[in-house]
Formats: sequence, structure tokens, C-alpha cells
Amino acid sequence: MILAAARYAYPNAKVRALRSRRLTDQDRHFLLEARDFSSFLAYLATTPYGRELSDLEGELPDPGVLERRLARPLMEDYAKVARALRGKRERESVLALFSRFESENLKVLLRAVFSGLGKQAVSHLLYPLGTLSTLPWDNLWACDNPAEVADMLIRTPFGTALKHAVPQFEAQGRLFPLEMALDLSCFQRLKQAVSGLRSRSDRKAAKGILGPYVDILNISWTIRLKIHYGLSPEETVNYSLPGGELLGLSQLHRLARAEDISSFLEQIPRSLQREIGEVSEWEDFPAYLETWFLRLLARLFMGPPFHIGIEIAFLLEKEMELTALITLIEAKAQGLSLDKAVKKLPRQFSGAAHV
Amino acid sequence: MFRPVKLTRLTIQAPEDQISAVMAILGDLRLLHLIRVEETHLGHLGYVAHIDTPLLEHYDRLLARANRLLRDLGPSGPSPGIRKVPRPDKAVFRLEEELALIEKEALEPLERKKKAKNAISEHEALIARLHLLAPIKIDLDRLYNLRYVTWRAGLIPEENLDKLEQSLVDTYHALIPIGRKERRVVLLAVSLKEDEEVLLRALKSAFCDPLELPPGIHGTIEKVLDRLSAEIEYLKTEFAGLDTKWAELARKYGTRLKRLREEILLARQLLKAQAKFGQIDHTYLLTGWIPVALFEELRKRIIKATSGKVLVDQVEPEDIKEVRSGILKIPILFNNPLLIRPFERLTTLYGTPSYEEVEPTVFLAVSFLLLFGMMFGDVGHGAILCGIGYYVFRKMYRYTDYGIILMECGVSSMIFGLLYGSVFGMEDLIPALWMHPMEEINRFMMMSAFLGIGVISLGLILNLINVIRQHRYGELLSTSGLAGALLYWLGAGLVVRYLLSGGLSSFELISAKVAAGTLIILMILQKPIRAVLLRYHKDKKWGRLPPGLGGTILESFIEVLDDLLRYLANTVSFVRIAAFALTHAGLFIAVFSLADMVQNVHGGGLLYWVTLIIGNVFIIALEGMVVSIQTIRLEYYEFFSKFFRGGGKPFRPLLEEE
Repeated sequence: MILAAARYAYPNAKVRALRSRRLTDQDRHFLLEARDFSSFLAYLATTPYGRELSDLEGELPDPGVLERRLARPLMEDYAKVARALRGKRERESVLALFSRFESENLKVLLRAVFSGLGKQAVSHLLYPLGTLSTLPWDNLWACDNPAEVADMLIRTPFGTALKHAVPQFEAQGRLFPLEMALDLSCFQRLKQAVSGLRSRSDRKAAKGILGPYVDILNISWTIRLKIHYGLSPEETVNYSLPGGELLGLSQLHRLARAEDISSFLEQIPRSLQREIGEVSEWEDFPAYLETWFLRLLARLFMGPPFHIGIEIAFLLEKEMELTALITLIEAKAQGLSLDKAVKKLPRQFSGAAHV
Repeated sequence: MFRPVKLTRLTIQAPEDQISAVMAILGDLRLLHLIRVEETHLGHLGYVAHIDTPLLEHYDRLLARANRLLRDLGPSGPSPGIRKVPRPDKAVFRLEEELALIEKEALEPLERKKKAKNAISEHEALIARLHLLAPIKIDLDRLYNLRYVTWRAGLIPEENLDKLEQSLVDTYHALIPIGRKERRVVLLAVSLKEDEEVLLRALKSAFCDPLELPPGIHGTIEKVLDRLSAEIEYLKTEFAGLDTKWAELARKYGTRLKRLREEILLARQLLKAQAKFGQIDHTYLLTGWIPVALFEELRKRIIKATSGKVLVDQVEPEDIKEVRSGILKIPILFNNPLLIRPFERLTTLYGTPSYEEVEPTVFLAVSFLLLFGMMFGDVGHGAILCGIGYYVFRKMYRYTDYGIILMECGVSSMIFGLLYGSVFGMEDLIPALWMHPMEEINRFMMMSAFLGIGVISLGLILNLINVIRQHRYGELLSTSGLAGALLYWLGAGLVVRYLLSGGLSSFELISAKVAAGTLIILMILQKPIRAVLLRYHKDKKWGRLPPGLGGTILESFIEVLDDLLRYLANTVSFVRIAAFALTHAGLFIAVFSLADMVQNVHGGGLLYWVTLIIGNVFIIALEGMVVSIQTIRLEYYEFFSKFFRGGGKPFRPLLEEE
């Protein structure tokens, strides 16, 4: 306990300081209630995200460009948290979490390379990863085809998964296998990083957060692959993420085979069912799941503080704040009504509409 | 040698039907630096550039074909030089014919060779796939003849096996792991024929890399492997036969192909140079710089070849308005003897001299070799450097210049080795013709400082020449001009006199103080006085002082102080010559001590010599690098900074290599 306190005193203090820069209830309220996109931006400029808007002049910015800009504070927080952690294994778990953003940028790169576009054409779609990413980006952008990109990444954590996906990419002639391989490799790395943590309390705390996180992602992905992409149950199971806690492979398979929402809900574990039992449409699932997960994260901050869970919880909480903000940006840019926007947001965010 | 080659401005006006002949002559001569006509005043008169694009594209295609043949044939030996540059429009027919002739004979065996190579690769890949399946020891015919069951073999990532199993839980299936390879499981997946679609979807989504077997493979895997091995042997024999034929073709056509390629390249370069020509209707105009000595020969050849239909004019640089006003720069064509020429690389690394400046390569070369030799003086090490330089010179064509520099540095080291009496650090083999640096440290340091005074003085003299050549007379009274040089020489003279005689007379001291004081006051006041005169020139009457005069005086004072201190620092900087020569000798002492220690501990004479050899290699590599860096540093910072301004434009010959 004393050792853990010594190890996590500084990182936790750092996290608490960074957490104080979250959007307040008042911020959320005014952002939700903003009349239109421009008044939304005017208020956003007064929040901690204001720094990202400071050099925007003239016309309203493109929402896509804005989304990636607003990710900068999150990327900086990743770097700060990684720097604050002393142990190599603890840092690896944060880096593994961060690799999801590298993977997103790699997907953009693969699409650009595949369709013969230059970096300039897609740069607005890239996350501002900063110095935490050590991938050879310049060399990667110089590649002529996706297979060459996979070759260049061979010595990185993405290497093996990409290499194994290349035959399917070549057989199908589309990037989907490579993109899935990138996602799967991130979560495989995350799973290994969590099992590699030195102390039992760290492992327990990390699994306690990342397990449910993977579960909600698997539920959302199952819906997406099944409903939106029309994939078969066997494909949906094979594309599921490793490392879930509440949902095993057999449950995921049953979810994939479920024919309607009620039978889908029946397959969801009881503890989760209580939270999302009211869902009536497929597109409502993400908001309910995020609400449940954010509540779980909030509980963690009230418990014993000296473990890696605090750092992971903070980063995921911040990421979900960004996701909510992006949802809101899109809603405001499209001129959606408040009711429609609220339905897409977790309750922690949408609840502020009535403050 | 001290000045670049004298150039003159050439202008040629040729009718369209004569331009190819003119280009061929220019190509032969090579030493023409073309100016883009569009960028001169002639561009405003409507002379615009046109490249013969269809012809250039024809040459591009020829080049691709020649390159392909050369790549496949791979003939050895250097490319032959082309003495006579072809006329691009005429030569294209001959080149086309020659290339087609070679292709006629070479392409068929090339295709056969490629086919054989592909067949070998395919067989090898199939053998590798079958080896993965070999552990199941199954008759492939039995698998192919299954009526109600379908099967697929492939590799899937280990971590996906459980998911695959689960995804097929609703269908009758069997997943048979056969082996493992690079974190993947070699798998035989079997299901009912009616579930084939499900099986394929599941395998696809589990990132299965299918092990596909071509039709027509029968029997047990063992037998198939035997048969394939025999086939591969046969293919390899056939391939070897084609290789012999291929080598024969390479011998027969190699040199000819290389010559063709060179000719194509030259013709392309000439055609591309047309981008710098000007054209109005059917008249071409081209202009550029050419050595004065070549002009007459060029003019005669062009007039003879075109029966006088082409106008060739010459304009001296001083008659060109743009040159006088500095808008147009005359390019620099170096003019150094063979042994000095490699040092041009070091000069241009610092900057390209302008046309009016002293061309400093010869001074750089001499001082470089002198300084290097002083710091790296050893007969043995010099000989090794010389040997390495010779190897580079003979074997590495791209680095010939560096080979020559290395050889010269080696010779300089050997000369100083003789002066120091040092052979591989042993100072008792030959007598020192001058001194042993370690025994006369103070004297050696003094000599280094004197050498520094010499080098800096040379720099100051060259600067004065540049000031006069470039008419920058205003700088004569500055610290970098004549006043600064006189003050430096006064100081240096006093120091030398003091060191040699041990003291200075009161007359010498008073005279020096008066002279130094006058020069310093001159240097400080020259700028403010110029400002006052400029004001008078503007106002045409004496009256108000220019604004900020006090600031100018203060600034001038600080500048003079700074420059004088820099002179001192630059001179002292040369003491590093002695320091590095002593380091060189010191490292020898360390290596010999180490060798003695090794011999005393292990008692073996062999280890003694091994230590000495390793130590010497270490000294050559480390000291060689350090001394080179220090020499370049002295050249650039202490010597070049005194006179070399650069900013010139390098001469780009017409057929510069692509």
C-alpha cells in the first residue's frame, strides 16, 4: 500500500489536476442550449477547449476539421499521463490505449494510399498525435500501396496483425481486413499490457475498467456490423474485440444471432440489462452504454486511489467527453433539435440540458 | 588558377532547319552554360521556349527499352565515353534500328528465362505450402473426391482460433490444427457441403491465409513433393542453360548497349536544353556563357556546318548592362590543375566564389595539406592513408575526388612524418629532420601560432585584392580592410619581435602605440565620418549632424573592439595544430603502453603486435577524422572568413549528368 502510494502519488495528483479541466455542468448546459453552430462555438471558446479555436477566423470551420482539432488536449493529456507514470509496464498500458488513435491515423493513411491521395488531402482527418507516437510517419506517407505500409510497420505493435491480414486484403481487394486488423491489434496489445502489469491491484483495477469498456464496444460493434453492414453472425463473432469481462464469445455469438431488440436485450448480462432495459431502437444503444460506463468510471474516482485505474479512467472519461462534444458539434452543424441531439448523448452530458 | 575561367556571352540565332546541327556542335563542345532566353530581355520580345515533345518522348521510350535490356543482361564494365554528340533528330532513326536489332536476338531468350524463373518460384511456393500440410499424411485424391463434405486449408492467427471455433458452433464442422508457423496455426477446416458459404465467411473473417493447391495434384503429399522436387531440378537445369546463353548475349551486346544508352541520354539532354532556347516562328535563339578561348572555334565550326546560315555573336560581360548592375551573375567555371581540382568540393561547400573574387581553391588546398600534415605527421600512417586513397581512386568511381584528397593528405603526413622522425609512432627508426613534437612543445606551439599569423595575413591580403577588384574602397579603412590588416600586422610584428629578441625598445613601443592609436581611431570614426559626408552630399551644405550619430560611433567602437578580439582569437586558434599533433603522439604513447601491459600480463609477443595494430587502426580512424574536421574548421572560420564572400553562381555545362 505504501509502495503503491509512493508510485501513484505524483501521477494521481497530475490526473486530478488535469481532470479539473473537464467541462463543467454549466459548460454542458450552455453548449447544449446553444441556438446554432456559431453560438455553440462562441461558448466553446470560453471553455478549456477555447485554445483550439483561437486561430480560427472568418467563416465557420468545417465540423470534421474541428473534431480533430479538439482532440489535441486529449492527446496532450495522454503524453502528460504517460510521462508521469514511472513504471515501464504501467506506461505501456497507457500507450496501448493511445495506440487506438495511431490506428485511426493509420486507417486514414491506408485509405489515402489505396486511393492515391497525398497526405495534404486527408491531413484534416488525422489526430494530432504529437510526440507520443513513434511510428515512422514520414516513411509511411511515402509508401505506394497498403502492402508496403504493412511491411514498414512490421517491427511495430501493429506489424504481425497487419501482416496476417494482407492475404485477405489482397483476396478481397478492399481495406476492411487491414482496418479490422489494426483495431484488433490495439485491443490485443491492451489485453497483454493489462496482464503484464506488475501489481495485482493494478491488474484488477485495469481489468475492472477495460473489461466493461471492451464489452460496450463489442455490443456497439455487434449492432453496427449486424444492422448497418449486414454481416453474418460468424463474421461478427470473428471481428469481436478481445478482453471483454461480461460478454464471452458464446454470448457475443448469441447477440449476433438475435433477431430483434428484445431478443438482443435478453442476451445481455443482467447487471447491464438493468441499465439499458429501456432501449427501444438500435441507435439508442451507444448513449445508454456510455451512460452506464461513465457511471462506472465516476465510481472509481471515489474508491481507493493508488492504482493505474485512475489514469486509465481519466483518459477514457476525457475521450468520452470529446466523443459527446463531437456528437454535439455534428448535431449543431446539421441544425438538429435539442431533443434529437440529447438522445445521442450519455445522460451525464444530456442531463445538463435541464440545469 | 587564381581566377575562374574567363567567360564571354554567346548568342546564336539559327533557322529551324539548322538548330539540330548547332545543338550537336554545342553538345560536342559541352562547355556552354545556357541562359533561359525567356528570362532575359529577349523573352519580352516574344522569344519563348518550345521542346520537341514527340521526339523527346520517342527518346524516353528508347531509353526505357535500353534500360530494360541492360537490367536483364547486366553487362559489367564502365560505360564508354561518347566523343561525338549525335544530332537528336537524325540519330533517333539509327538508335531505333540498332536497339531493335539487339531486341530481336535478346527478347526471346529473355522471355524464356523469365518463364523458367516464374515456374521455379511457383514450384517452390507450392512445395512450401505442401510442406505445411505434410504432417496429415493424407492422399489428396481422397480429399478432392469427398462428396458431402467440403474442406479448406489455411493459416490463421493463433488468437483467432477460439473465435473461429465459436463462430461455427451452429454448423457441423471440424477444425484440425496441423502445425504452427510464425504465430499462426496451420488448419484444415471441414464442414458439410451445404455449409460451405458459412465456412468460407468464418475463415475469411478470422483472417485466414488460404493454402490453395492448383488443380491436377494427385496422390499423397509425399509423392507430390517428390515429383515437384524432380520438376524443379529440371527447371533449374533449363534455367542454367539459358543463363549461359544470356551471358553470351551480355558479352556480345553489353558495350554496344551501353554506348546506345549514353547516346540516348545525351540526345535527351540536348532536347531538354531546348527549354532554355527562344523561338519565334521558324527562328531559334539561344544564349549563354562560354569560355572566351573556345568562342572562335565554336563560331567557325557552326558557320562551316551550316554554310553561314547561323548568326553567332559574342558580347563581353562588361558590356552587358544587367551584369554591370549586378542583376545577372556570370557563372564560375573553375580552372585548377588536376591535383587541386578535388578541393573545389570543399570550396563550394562553403560557397561559390563570385566572378570578381579571388578563386581560393589553390590556397585552400595548400594550407589544408600543410595543416593536416602537421597534425597527422607520421610516415606509416601517411602511407596507409595514401593506400586507402589510391584504392578509392581506382575502385570507387563516384568518390575519385576524395581518393585524390586522401592520397595528398597521406603524402603530406609522410613528409611531416619524416620531419618529426615518426614511423607508426616509433621515433627511433629514422632521425627527425626537424624536431620531435613531444620534446619541443613550446617551440611547436610557437610555430603553430606563427603559421596562424601567416594564414590570416594571407587571408587579409586576398581580402584587399577582392576589395580593389570589386571597387569596395569604403571598406579599406574598416577592421576587415587595410586599416585592420595594418593593425594586425603591427601587433603580430611586435609579438614576433618580442618572442625572438626577448624585449622591445622604448622607441618601438611608442611608435607602435601611436600607429595603433591612429589606426583604431580611423577604424572607429570611418563610419560616422561617412555618415556626415553623406548628409552633406544630400543637403549640399554643412549644418545639421545626421540623426543617431552618437549611436553610430558607439556601434562602431563596439564593432572595432569585437573585430580586434576576433583577430586575436583566430590567431590563438591555430595553436590547436600543435595540440592535435601532440595528441597524435600522445595516443601512440598510450597504445605502446597498453601493448606493453598486455605483453607483461599474458606474456605473448603476438598479443603485443595485435594491440599495436588495433591501436594504430584506432588512431588512424579517430585522429584522421578529428584532424580533418579541425583542418576544415581552421580553413573556414579562420581563413575563408577573412576574405571569401561567395554568392557566385556555378557554371552548369550543357550536358551536365542527370
